[in-house]
Amino acid sequence: MRASLEWLREFVPVGASAGEVAHRLTMLGLEVEAVEQIDGDNIFEINVTPNRPDCLSMIGVARELSAAFGAEITFPDHEFKSETGELDFNVDILNSALCPRYAGRIVKGLKIGPSPDWLKIRLEKCGIRSINNVVDVTNYVLLELGHPLHAFDLGCIKGHRISVGTPKDVKGSAEKLRFLTLDGNERELPEDALLIWDAERPIAIAGVMGGLETEVSGTTVDIFIESAYFDPVSVRRTSRATGLKTEASFRFERGADIKMLKKALDRTAFLMHKIAGGTIYGKIDVYPAKYTAGKISVNYEKINRVLGLDLADSEITGYLGRLGFVVEKVNGRYDLTPPPFRVDMQRDADIIEEIARVYGYERIPAVLPAAVTGIEGQDNSRASLSEALLKEMKGSFLKSGFTEVINYSFMGENDLDLLGIDAGDVRRMMVRIKNPLRAEDACMRTTLIPALIKNIVYNVSHGNKSFRLFEISRAFLAGGNRDDKLPEERNHFAAALYREKIQSLYRDDTPDFFVVKGVIEALFNSLKIAPYSFIRSAEPFLHPGQSADILIAGSKVGYIGALSPVVVGRLDIKAQRPSIILTELDIDLLSGHYAQSAQMIRYSPLPRYPFSERDTALIVDESLESSEIVDLLKSYSSDLIEGVTLFDVYKGKNIPEGKKSIAFSIRYRASDRTLKDEEVEDLHNQIVGFMIGRTKGLLRT
Amino acid sequence: MIEDLKQTFLNELGSATSAADLFQLRVNYLGKKGTVTAALKTLSSASPEDRPLLGKKINEVKQFIEAELDSREASLKSETLKKQLLADSIDITLPGKYTAFGREHPINKVLLEIVDIFVRMGFSVEQGPEVEQDYYNFEALNFPKEHPARDMQDTFFVSDDIVLRTHTSPVQVREMEKRKPPVRFIAPGKVYRCDADITHTPMFNQVEGLMVDKNITFSNLKGILEAFLHRMFGPGTPIRFRPSFFPFTEPSAEVDIGCILCGGSGCRVCKESGWLEILGAGMVNPAVFEFVGYDTEVYSGFAFGMGIERIAMLKYSIDDIRLFYENDIRFLGQF
Repeated sequence: MRASLEWLREFVPVGASAGEVAHRLTMLGLEVEAVEQIDGDNIFEINVTPNRPDCLSMIGVARELSAAFGAEITFPDHEFKSETGELDFNVDILNSALCPRYAGRIVKGLKIGPSPDWLKIRLEKCGIRSINNVVDVTNYVLLELGHPLHAFDLGCIKGHRISVGTPKDVKGSAEKLRFLTLDGNERELPEDALLIWDAERPIAIAGVMGGLETEVSGTTVDIFIESAYFDPVSVRRTSRATGLKTEASFRFERGADIKMLKKALDRTAFLMHKIAGGTIYGKIDVYPAKYTAGKISVNYEKINRVLGLDLADSEITGYLGRLGFVVEKVNGRYDLTPPPFRVDMQRDADIIEEIARVYGYERIPAVLPAAVTGIEGQDNSRASLSEALLKEMKGSFLKSGFTEVINYSFMGENDLDLLGIDAGDVRRMMVRIKNPLRAEDACMRTTLIPALIKNIVYNVSHGNKSFRLFEISRAFLAGGNRDDKLPEERNHFAAALYREKIQSLYRDDTPDFFVVKGVIEALFNSLKIAPYSFIRSAEPFLHPGQSADILIAGSKVGYIGALSPVVVGRLDIKAQRPSIILTELDIDLLSGHYAQSAQMIRYSPLPRYPFSERDTALIVDESLESSEIVDLLKSYSSDLIEGVTLFDVYKGKNIPEGKKSIAFSIRYRASDRTLKDEEVEDLHNQIVGFMIGRTKGLLRT
Repeated sequence: MIEDLKQTFLNELGSATSAADLFQLRVNYLGKKGTVTAALKTLSSASPEDRPLLGKKINEVKQFIEAELDSREASLKSETLKKQLLADSIDITLPGKYTAFGREHPINKVLLEIVDIFVRMGFSVEQGPEVEQDYYNFEALNFPKEHPARDMQDTFFVSDDIVLRTHTSPVQVREMEKRKPPVRFIAPGKVYRCDADITHTPMFNQVEGLMVDKNITFSNLKGILEAFLHRMFGPGTPIRFRPSFFPFTEPSAEVDIGCILCGGSGCRVCKESGWLEILGAGMVNPAVFEFVGYDTEVYSGFAFGMGIERIAMLKYSIDDIRLFYENDIRFLGQF
């Protein structure tokens, strides 16, 4: 809200500088975001929080200054003599729950015209455009006293009467009406909208906007001024349903001052008469549901206990008095009656804030709480383990050259279409957002891969030819059967490697698949996550010959592979056959296995006797995968085998078509003696024989 | 005669250049059929009185030749080695072979820094769902339906009762439902609001904090947050608490630090005010305690929340929040 210091000073005699006033207001909770100088006046841009509708006016801000500086408030003139003649005009409230008070005055014989300069200038300083003297006065009083007013052209109100109610109240049945508002648009009104009616039709949406047909125009002579109180929830509903946010609805939905409305009405009539002439007629004030101030009790001791202060009783009552509270002291507590404009005062905590505010937050000392012994929270072992896992994971990938990205949690159907993920796939079980910013962001992610692919395309388009990325974020799966109807949220890890064939100083021809796989294996080994294995994957977006599902103890925890050339072809990447490796892991599944292994660490004694190694190369069918060789070797039952390593896989010269050579090394050791050469030789020959038999291979010599 | 032998040897040694030459010399002089060996054999034909002296001389020459050969061999070896090492030399100014380390995202870097400070103060770390029930995100935090305070947070809806959480505050309610005081934790995480411009992204990160026990005061809130802010932004950083409004805290405060860019004299970033808004905080509203069944006469507590993006932008002088989510590695590589 914009407030003029010159105007404020009419209400409260504050001599302090504009800077000082702005500071005090900010420290009272009315944050002055900017100060603008216009013609020697200072205009404050004040951020009024939603709990303080009473501060959406000059008088409201002045009341705060009065409390802060201890200066008296002067009310603007609003006394006048009105004509007492018979009023041929009736007001009926049909719904006193939504409209507990409705007041109005008739002013006849006005001369509509431009407003005087002083009025125009004040409105413009506060950001309101001048329209004509009658409308300007209602806006002026809105700014001054904070109460929304509306002027109807009396000549357009049919049947000399006004009633207030919903369509059901008036017509006996709920219906959605169409209504022409004064901004010139016809709108459909919600069936529970509170409306102002004349004898025949609705003429205004209560507390939101008037109608075009009863608008004050250049030819208006007589007017009816409305000053009423409307239910905040009702106004807010109607305002939201019609999309109409006005100065009036903004104040009514936050809570107007039911007692102020009479003063506001008289002030309006007073100014209109002064500016536009005419005769003011007697007041109509229908007030079926009388306001009674609710009392709030506050424990004296609790005030100091919550604030950490030691305020004296007189100090507390002093602050409350300055804020307009009526204070009664009863047995160590205060029974307080807040002023009617403080609709935000509900309970003791609200009162405590008021005291702290006027005392000054800056004067409250900063004291660290007494230490709490013991470990906070519940048994966190599982949580801290998964934290440790995350830390290891992040560390491994960072050190292996992967840069962390954070993407929005959104995606669209088309992201899954691009990957060829079919309708039955669990990743199609997306949480859908009803009001997304863009259609392509209408769902929550079920996989992190689409975003990583976008990151790749973006970075490639900015000239990057080689980079590695990873992300740790949640994936959301709808359609579960949780009692709370919430989706399943799973922690995912995903990484991407992109590399074009570029010249490099040192030769390294390790296929990128193994670069990424190596980081994962190193991580699993370091965390003792076992037993893990890699089997061929059927992920639709990965290269079928260069992809694997990652299994731990036989169940899938993720996948790794080259992005399928079919998908690459759909992307805006011009490079010829770049290498793109992707992997995604479900961290929650991993952390279960990690939790088990982390608790099973037991020391094993170091060997005391030397080892012997033997190397052998076999020629086997090309299709035989190395993991099968290793599994076979491991399946051979002997206590003397300490470890098995593959050290060469070769195809080409000297090897028959359709075959390959696989070389392995076996380390032998006994725990209780030094092995004799013949013993090792013998065992190794047996194993080689076993391998030849099982692989139907040949010994390579 | 034996003197001549020595001189001849020295001449020949002078022209020897390789290990092979030296070996040949050794054979020629000291080998079985070598000159020195032959001279020794002549001893038996020398007269008995000349024999000792002659023997001594020949032995001296033999030792001399041996020593010379050894020394020449050693120096030749070391010269050869030197040559070989020189030939093996590499351009040590070429770059090493490595995979450059990846970089942690600046948001997570700042987030972990914040988490670390609170963990050192004894706060545990908790999590809550990002797709959240209206009840936890609003209702139990004292934002009734149709309350204007809901306008403070533009909300993404999944259904009438399910939203993308607009703040990390629902974790407060979930944790208090789970356990009794004392409670002391922080809850970092992603939050969502339907808003996108130069200072807003539809997703961003917050850290929430809650401490509840007997006798926890507003003064304690100031104590904890001052300790945190002084660690985060430097010990001398000016701090200002001013009244504000959040439905779930009362009294509520906005916490500002003296502008770290202009030092408080006023600049574009602090909108000439000299202060930067950094945190929202307050004493837990008793209405929230009632939702979770805590006795409002026995317990009190404070809560606070901060946006990570804003802190990261200030820390690294970043002027466009969207950079964080473009994930351009030229940007990410700078942290």
